[in-house]
This record gives sequence, structure tokens and C-alpha cells, in this order.
Amino acid sequence: MRKSHASIVLALTTAATIVLSACAVPQGVAPTVQAAATQVAEAAPTVEAAAKEVATKVEEAKAAMEVPADWKAGIPKNAPDRAGKNLVIRDVPKLIGIGYFAATTKGMEEAAKELGNIDFKTDAPTEAKIEKQIEFLDNFITQGVDVLLYASNDPVAIAPVLKKALDQGILVIGYDADAEEDARQFFVNQATFEAFAQALIEDMVAQVGPEADIAIVTSSLTAPNQNRWIEEMKKYIAEKYPKLNIVTILPSEEDQQLAFKAAQDIMKTYPNVKGIIGLSSVAFPGVTDAIKQAGNCGKIASVGASTPNQMRPFVEEGCAKDVVLWNPVDLGYAALYAARALADGKLKPGDTEFEAGRLGKLKVRGSEILLGDPFVFTKDNIGNFDF
Amino acid sequence: MTETQTTQTKRELRFGVLRSQEGILAILLILIVIGLSLLSDRFLTVNNLLNQTRLFTETALLALPMTFIIISGGIDLSAGSMLAWSAVMLGFSWQLLGLPLPLAVIVCLLTGLVAGLINGILIAYVRVPPLIATLATLAIYRGFSFGISQARSVRGFPDDFYFWGQGQIGPFPTQFIILVILIIIAHVMLSRTGFGRWVYAIGNNELAARFSGIPIERVKLVLYAASGLMAGLAAFIFTSRVTTTRADAATGLELDVIAAVVLGGTSIFGGSGSIIGTVLGLLIITLLRNGLLLTGVKGDATVMVIGIVLILAVLINNVLRRR
Repeated sequence: MRKSHASIVLALTTAATIVLSACAVPQGVAPTVQAAATQVAEAAPTVEAAAKEVATKVEEAKAAMEVPADWKAGIPKNAPDRAGKNLVIRDVPKLIGIGYFAATTKGMEEAAKELGNIDFKTDAPTEAKIEKQIEFLDNFITQGVDVLLYASNDPVAIAPVLKKALDQGILVIGYDADAEEDARQFFVNQATFEAFAQALIEDMVAQVGPEADIAIVTSSLTAPNQNRWIEEMKKYIAEKYPKLNIVTILPSEEDQQLAFKAAQDIMKTYPNVKGIIGLSSVAFPGVTDAIKQAGNCGKIASVGASTPNQMRPFVEEGCAKDVVLWNPVDLGYAALYAARALADGKLKPGDTEFEAGRLGKLKVRGSEILLGDPFVFTKDNIGNFDF
Repeated sequence: MTETQTTQTKRELRFGVLRSQEGILAILLILIVIGLSLLSDRFLTVNNLLNQTRLFTETALLALPMTFIIISGGIDLSAGSMLAWSAVMLGFSWQLLGLPLPLAVIVCLLTGLVAGLINGILIAYVRVPPLIATLATLAIYRGFSFGISQARSVRGFPDDFYFWGQGQIGPFPTQFIILVILIIIAHVMLSRTGFGRWVYAIGNNELAARFSGIPIERVKLVLYAASGLMAGLAAFIFTSRVTTTRADAATGLELDVIAAVVLGGTSIFGGSGSIIGTVLGLLIITLLRNGLLLTGVKGDATVMVIGIVLILAVLINNVLRRR
């Protein structure tokens, strides 16, 4: 008795849903137009086919003209002409509710306001989880947005949903953390290895001079990013400051205590060391803390890459002069400007630069937009950032 | 009125209420669907609704055995961790051990089954309370996932592997077809077989069930093992959908699953509930989340709305029960 009633209710619900959804379909203009097109096609199949063939050829020729042959990044399918038009832009960072992505959003909002006629919003899961991020992107695709911005939680797992967006003519731009190259059009790279390494060395030389012994505390000896930075630093030193001598490189395995100990060991073993570079967000505070506790503030320079929040106390009391990183507000700002430029046809495959508002002309290398020189957080500006 | 008669009337009353509770859920669902379709013209389209089934299949697969388990008076908090462990084993056995992919999928399913069996043995034979046993394995299985994968993800599966999570059979997503078949099996098992009646009996009064000769230990073992096997299946579909296996997959998924089951009218104290209720609960949560996002409500606000709906549903449930 109970079961049969329940089944009837379920059946009714299903029926209602199907009927309602069937009603909803013709509301969309596109299906109707498509249906009409199909009818025409049926009426005159040969003419239509010929016309289609010509159209495809024209398309191909056009595509060949605009896109360089070695273009590996994605291209949206049948994207409508959006030049100068109102844009709906949605930003899906790794997560929301943390200072870093609040800062990128701030930059995007600033750019959206400057540009006008942009409907912009950031929304993402509250934890950095790829499956939740996919759900957000998927819902925005259904919503029918013009541009999707993302900072991916997983470069491979995010690719299918981004490709789906491209297939539906949505423009896709990444920033901060990339996806597979063919799943998006452009990626705003916040810091190239080269520029970042050079900024660190310049910062060090400014404090210890071009002739000194220095040491490096890296994260782990196999960490790919850190190894690229070290490689670029060595290259730059050999070129510009041959008398700057790296005496040792010690690992700290993403552990602040290990970094602390490594810095202590360096100070004991190499009494001539004038500066130590902390190469991860936890290595830098660990190294600075060791220098501070040994009473060497001001005698041994602490240079490195970390976030303002982790380094604020040290920078404010002067034990680390500054922090090298990038400005996430600028990163968001550039990503939104890239979206507008892409929609307006002012940023195309093959371009080598584009105009990004107050940031001026940004370089484009392949499908990567370069944010430019790293940002240096000092005593004067570190209070303005919360991440 | 004799005592037996009183129990009889109470029983009938409760079943009557149960019937109307599914009715209430169905009405709630229809209201939500109508409301959301007025707010967004993108919501009530065949494409969107079918697409949603892709996103909620894994939760739904776990909700089926969870309904049985909660009706029997237990709970399985390790569901998300079992999924992650199974998924990691899929990637591990395929990429690092070099097993052919179909064999790796079997390893994935077996991993889930083993995880579930361990839960079952702990609960049925060692007699650890389900909440504590599965809270412990929640941490242990998650630990296995990180340990075995070394927190690295496995990717680059061949294209035909994606059929199960991204492909279609006719107009329907592959996993939706699998889900519908399993929903029917679960529904029939719970409502039409002796095994189903045993589950209700254990949840209503375990001692009485024992005296009436129900093999309680074996039933519990089967329930938790089934939960593990479903986690293995969900892991396979999940991996195929998101194209990579990660140790942090499905963290906290068990909470979504339990929310759907409870929203569907299954009593957290055991003894009552139904698969139809669970399916309605799942639909309400999924469509609410999807619809609100489509109408432009922010993600964190959506979670709040779902929480409120959950409390409302339980409140209505309680009021009806008391009447």
C-alpha cells in the first residue's frame, strides 16, 4: 500500500519534470533556429551541402590565416562576435575565502569597473577541491557566460570541463595555476622563472654587494620550481655577478623547522656567509627566524620568496628587508583585461603584446601572458596586503 | 484496547506518516523545480538536468547502501575515504604496477570491497560501534590513499576509459544508466525481500531481531561490504569523469551522502526509511544547488540554503510523527 503510493508520487514527479522541461526547450531561440535550418537542409540537400562545404573551407582558410601553425592552445568553436559587447565573465579560482584569491578578485573587479559593460563575479568552492571546482565551471557553462577565468586545482582534471566550454564558444583564460595548454586559450603567468630568479639576486646584491658568499635554503632537492629558480639564478650570477659565490644549497622539505635548522648550520659552517636565500614560502620565514635568533639581524641578509602574511613581522622589524613575490591584485587585473581584449579581437594567437590598462603593455609569449617583473613587498606596502 | 492493539495502531500510524512524508518530499521537489525554473530559464532544460546526473552519481551510488545502513541503526563515515583509496589503487595498479586497465578497475572494485569488509568485521564481529569504527577507518583509508599515491596524481588514461564518466548511452550519461539500474535493485531489495525486512527489524529492535533468528552479524557484514563495493564503483566512475586519481578525492563526500539519506526521511535512529525517499532527497539537494548557482546565488549561500532545507524537512518529519 505504502510502496504503491510512493511509486505513484515518484512517477508523477518524473512526469511533471519531463513535461515542464519539454516546455522549457523551445523557449531557447537557438534550437528553433536550428530546427528551421534542418528543414531547409532537408528541402535542398545538395545546395545546402555545397554551401556548407564552401563555408567550411572559408572557415578553414580564415583559421589558417589567424592562427599560427604551431599554436597548441585551445580555440573556442563558433564563438560569436563579442567585440565591444556586454560581457558576462565568471572567475573560478581554486577556492574562495582566502586572502590570495580575494586579492585576485579585487584586481578583476577593479578592471571590470574601469572597462564598464562587464558583468563580473567570482564564485568557487570554499575548499581547494578539483571535483567541486568542476561543478562550478559546469554550472557557469550551463548559465551561458561569455568568458571563464580559472586558477586550476589540477591541470589535467580541469581540462575536460574547460574543453567543453571552448566547444560551446566560451572564451577561456587561466591565471595563477594553469591547465593543459589545449584546454584554454591564454594563461596569465604571474612570474617567469627567469625574472623571478633575477629579482632575487638583484635583491641580494642590493644588500650584500656584488662580491660575497651566499647560501640557499630550498624546499626539497627535487622540487621542480625551486630547481628552475636555482638554475636561472646561477645563470644570472655567472653573467652579471661572477664574484657572488653560492657556498651551499640545503633542503628544507617544505618544513619551517628544517629551514630554521638549515640556516643555523649554514651560519656555523660558513662564518663568512653574508646572505641566505629562502626559496619557499616556509623556508624564507624559517631562515629569517634563525638569523634573528642568532642575533645576526642586519649582519646577514635574508632574501626570499614568501607571502606577506608569513613575513610581515620580520619585514616590519627589519630582519628581512623585503619579500619578492608577485602582486595578486595585478594578476587578477591583467586576467580580466586579457578577457576583454580577447573578446574584442585585440588579443589573438600570434600576438606578442597587449594593452592591459594601468599595467601598460604586457608581453605575450606563445599562449602565455607575462605579468612582468616580480613585485617587492617592503615595510611601506606590506600592510596593504592580506594573503 | 489491549497492548498489542495499541502497538498495532501506532505501527499503522507511523507507516501512514511515512507514506505522506515521501509525498511531502515530492511536493517540496516540485515546488523547488517550479521556483527555480521561474528564476532561471537555463535550469529546466533537458541538457542541464541530464548533466546534473553526471555530477551526483557518485553521491547517489554511496547513498544507496547508506540508506540500508542507517535503517539498520548504523552509519558509515568512511565512504569518501573508501572512494579515494579505491581510486588511488586504480591509478596505482594501472600506472605503477602496469596492470591492464580492466584489471586495474577490478582492483579498484576489490579495494572498495575489502575496505567495506574491514568495516563490517569491526562492527559486526569485533562490535565496535559503527560511528567509532568508521570514524577510525575514515582516517586510516585516507592515510592509505596518501601513502600509496605519495600524494601524486595519476593521469593520462586512454580515451575509451572516459566512456564511463563522460560518455553517453543514447541521450543519457553512462553513469546515469548504471545508477538507475542500481536504484531499482536497491529499492526491490529493501522493500520486497526478506533481507530488506531483516534490515528494518535490526534497526527497530536489534535484540528482538536476534531472538527472532535473524543472522544480525552476517546482515551487517553484507551491508558494510556493499557500501565498500559501491565506493569502489563510484571511484571508478569518478576517475573516469575527472580523468585523474587523487588522494584527496571525495573528502567530506560522506556528509553529502548522509544529508541526502536523512533528508529523504530515513530515521538516523534506524528502523525506517526508503530508497525512494533517498532518491528524492538527492534530487532536492542536487537541483537546489544547481538551480541556485544558475540563478546567481553564491556557492557559500547555497550551502546555507541546503542546510535550512535539511532542518525544515526533519522538523516536518518530527511534527508528522508526533501527530
